[in-house]
Formats: sequence, C-alpha cells, structure tokens
Amino acid sequence: MFRSEWLKIRRSVLWLIAAVSPLIASLFGLFGLRLQEGEFPWTETLSLMSVLHAMLFLPLLTGIFAALVCRYEHNGGGWKAMLAMPVSRTQIYVVKFAVVMGLLALTQALLLIALIAVGLSRGFDDPIPWRMLLTSFGGGWIACLPLAALQLFVSIALQSFAAPLAINVILTLPNIMIVNSARYAPYDPWAQPMLAMLPRDSMSYAALNLSAESLYLVVLGSFCVFFAAGWRYFVRKAV
Amino acid sequence: MTTKSEIIVATDGLTKRLGGRTVVNGVNLAIGRGDIYGFLGPNGAGKTTTIRMLLGLARPTSGHIRIFDKDIRKERLAILRKVGSLVEYPSYYGHLNATENLEAVRRLLGAPKSRIDEVLAIVRLTQEARRPVKGFSLGMKQRLGIATALLGNPELLVLDEPTNGLDPAGIQEIRELIKSLPRTSGVTILISSHLLSEVEQMATRVGIIAKGELIYQDGIERLREQAQGRIRLGVSDPEAAWQLLLSYGYPAEWDRTKLTVGQADDRTIAGIVSRLVQSDFQVYRVEEEHASLESIFLQMTGSEASL
Ligand SMILES: Nc1ncnc2c1ncn2[C@@H]1O[C@H](COP(=O)(O)OP(=O)(O)OP(=O)(O)O)[C@@H](O)[C@H]1O
Ligand SMILES: [Mg+2]
Repeated sequence: MFRSEWLKIRRSVLWLIAAVSPLIASLFGLFGLRLQEGEFPWTETLSLMSVLHAMLFLPLLTGIFAALVCRYEHNGGGWKAMLAMPVSRTQIYVVKFAVVMGLLALTQALLLIALIAVGLSRGFDDPIPWRMLLTSFGGGWIACLPLAALQLFVSIALQSFAAPLAINVILTLPNIMIVNSARYAPYDPWAQPMLAMLPRDSMSYAALNLSAESLYLVVLGSFCVFFAAGWRYFVRKAV
Repeated sequence: MTTKSEIIVATDGLTKRLGGRTVVNGVNLAIGRGDIYGFLGPNGAGKTTTIRMLLGLARPTSGHIRIFDKDIRKERLAILRKVGSLVEYPSYYGHLNATENLEAVRRLLGAPKSRIDEVLAIVRLTQEARRPVKGFSLGMKQRLGIATALLGNPELLVLDEPTNGLDPAGIQEIRELIKSLPRTSGVTILISSHLLSEVEQMATRVGIIAKGELIYQDGIERLREQAQGRIRLGVSDPEAAWQLLLSYGYPAEWDRTKLTVGQADDRTIAGIVSRLVQSDFQVYRVEEEHASLESIFLQMTGSEASL
C-alpha cells in the first residue's frame, strides 16, 4: 500500500514544494543574521529561520500535502477504483495520513539541515545544540498532527483542489495576530507548530511562556478529534 | 431462475434511495458462474448505482447482496479480492505511464509482476506502455481500465459501460476484446450498457432495468424468441391477398402498408406463395423482417419508440 502511494507521488511537484520553505529560511539565515557578541548564535538562528516556516509555511504545507495526496484520486475517479480494491478503507486512510506526515518530516529534516549548514558556514563557536534543535523540529512536526488530520479530512471530502487550500489559508493566517495572545494561541491548533518550534526564551511572544504539557494536550486532543472524524467519514463515504 | 450451476451474484430486494428518490428498487439479480450478463437500461435507470452497491462503494438502503455466496457487508475484502471492476469511466493516474498505473494497482492486489505485461498484451497496449496516460485517447484509457480490471485474475469482472463515449470502431474493438477474454477460466462477466445491440452478441444472460426496477432477467435466447421475425410479402393488391390468405387459414396480417405472416416454416411459406400465384397475384418480394431486439427493449423500458 505504501509502495503504491510512493509510485504515485514519486514524480510529482511534492518534492519541490517540500524544499521551498527550507530554501527561503536559508536565505533568511544567511543574509538576515546580525550577530552581536555574547549572544547564543544557534538559538538566534533557529528563531530567525523557523519563525516564518513555523508560523506560515508549515501549516500551509500540511494542507498542500494533504490536498496533493488526494488529488490523484479525485482527478481520475480514482476513489472508486481504489475503494473497489481489496484494501480496507481504514488502511487507505492511515496510509494517506502517514504519507502526509512523512512529507512533513522530510520538510523538517531539510530545514534542520539548512539550519546546521547556515550555522557551520558562519562558523559559530558554540557546539551544535542538538537537544534544542531536535525538540524544536520534532515538536513542530508533532504539532502538525491535528492540522494534517483535519486537512486530510477536508481534502477527501471536497472534490476540488483549491477549496481545502483556501480553508487552510483562512485558518492559518490568524497565526500572525494570535501568536501574541496568551489567551487564545494555546487553543488554536494552527498556532501550535510555531509555539512548539520557536525557542522558548528567544522572543517576547506572550504565548510562548506556556507549559509544554498544555500544548501537547491541545495538540493531541485536537488530533484525536480530527483524525477520528475524518476516518469515520471516509469509512462511510459513498463514492 | 438460472437452471445453471452456481449463482455468483445474488441480490435480494436491493434498494437504494438517493436524494429522496428510489433509484434502485427491489432488484433481484441472479448471475451464474460463467455467465456474460448484459445489464441493460436507459440512461439514469440505476445501473451504475446497482454496480456501486455490488462493489461495496455505496450501501444499499435495504436488501442484501451475496457474491461468491458471501455477504458483501461482512466479507467485502474477501469478495473484492476476486473481483475486477471498471465503473463508469476508467480511473488512471495521468502523470504515470500505463505500466506504472498497473504497477500501482498491482501493489495493492499483490498480483505477480509478470501479470502486467500479460494484461497489456490482452488489451493490446504493449506498444504504448511507456507513454504517460494523460496523452491516451479515450479508447486507450478504456482499454487500460479493462487491463486494470483484469490484473488480479478476477473470477468476476464488472464492467460498467465500458464502451461509454467511444466511436463505433472503438466500440467494436472493446466488444471484440471482451469476447476474446479467456472464457476457459470460467470468469463471470457483468457488463452494463444502454444499448442492447452492444451486448447482444456476447451476452448469455440479460437483465433489463428501467426506472430502478428489474423488468426482465433471463437468457438471451428468450429475448431473441420474442424478437423472431415475421415474413413480409410484397404483392400486387395486398389487401385482397390478405383476405385470400385469411380465408385459407394462414396467419396473415395487413396494417394498410404491408402484408406480413407470423412465424411460419418453409412449407407454410411455399404454400402461401403458390396459393397467391395461382390466384393471379404478382409476388414481388418474400422477405424476413426482424423485429430488432432494440425495439423490444424500447417497448419494455417504455421509452419513446421514435428515439
Ligand atoms: N448522488 C446522487 N444523488 C441523487 N441522485 C443520484 C445520485 N447518483 C445518481 N442519482 C440518480 O440516480 C439515478 C440512477 O443513476 P445511475 O447512475 O445509476 O444510472 P445509470 O443507469 O448508470 O445511467 P447511465 O446509463 O446514464 O450511466 C439517476 O436518475 C440519477 O440522477
Ligand atoms: Mg451509469
């Protein structure tokens, strides 16, 4: 089943899209850094490179990936053919979801590589803070779980390619405002990737001071709700 | 109904309501092993809806479906393993070539790799196997769809209007293809169409659905009998000839344009002709007139004969 999906996405624009955000972030990292003595260069670089990524690109990418893995089925009447195969709908749903998360993991890995490359090329003295970096990138990835679940649900339900993306943009844009709000940000799943990725003490966003536990509770809670809803819909969907 | 061996597809009171209308109403299909079942009905009769239910793509509002003597609701995957299908129009991944399309499906089915070349050869796409499918003509896509349906070596092949949108040559080609499918392996084929003529030459059994109800289901021979020809006589003064023939007890009919005799064997015809000649009628023509299956079909489905 995975290998069948792989065949479909192997030669598609997905790969380009996955590389876009890390590329932009690298440019930020290379040209945007004004380091002063005595700061933490890695933390600084991480903030700089991941803020746009985590605030906008990561949530948007989640929606794009979800829409793309469904597109081939929507386009060629493929749902009918696929669901008439001896494969359970649950399995199809789980695999599609896993592919989306896999692509996001790839994006995160690319960005991580870009970050380290930027750091090394500028010759930071401090050793690479693996722990912080992995927490940040892993956390950002986990924070995408509910988004991926909801976007997959929407993408499966809607025939059109653009509609799920529009919904995604509408839900993502408030991030720019909400991130300063300690009241709302913790409960907005779209703000979670940013909350999870940015280094805690680097910037003065109010919402960043919240405990990791509450964030993960929101993330996992909303993930379970979205995933269950999408799965249930898919299993009963008539095609 | 079938006197033949094993029933492969059996539905019992199959009903589907969609958007407040009953689009499939109490359909009892019975398809035996090895049948080529022509599932006929005009546009919107409910063929596709029935087939979607057979494949577990949609749930019946009521009624039961048993395929290979298994309940579709309980053993859907076990059933689908032995079913190949093409519903409405072929589905394909346009950016992949024909081989890759088949490979994507093969990986789901777990069929042997060699099977891809086999099915490509069956549908005669071997030459085009490396081209992206989005550049295929409709007929080629249809053939690829049939190849996909054949990939898993199915015991039951479900083809929903496989000639949809094809030109006459394409229709002919698909028909030949279906006829040429290996009949020895005992594969059962359900093929839907809105044209009787299309399945007439290959079907062994026919089901006719109209407005959601199955109005006919039997062997193709029975339908042919109903369509058996009359003999048309071209004579001088047909009305007088008609009265003459009636007076001798022949089953002649006169509808003010033509004189016909119902089913009659050679000796009866010979008798009629000599009687007419003896009575000084001039006999121009004696010809068989086939009531086409199409016209019977139209009568049954209640569509306008003037179509
Ligand atoms: N999702 C739906 N909602 C409401 N009505 C539907 C739906 N799908 C199909 N129908 C209706 O059900 C009826 C039967 O449709 P179906 O597609 O089964 O016909 P068909 O016999 O396959 O016709 P065709 O020869 O055109 O393919 C049609 O009148 C159609 O309008
Ligand atoms: Mg149809």
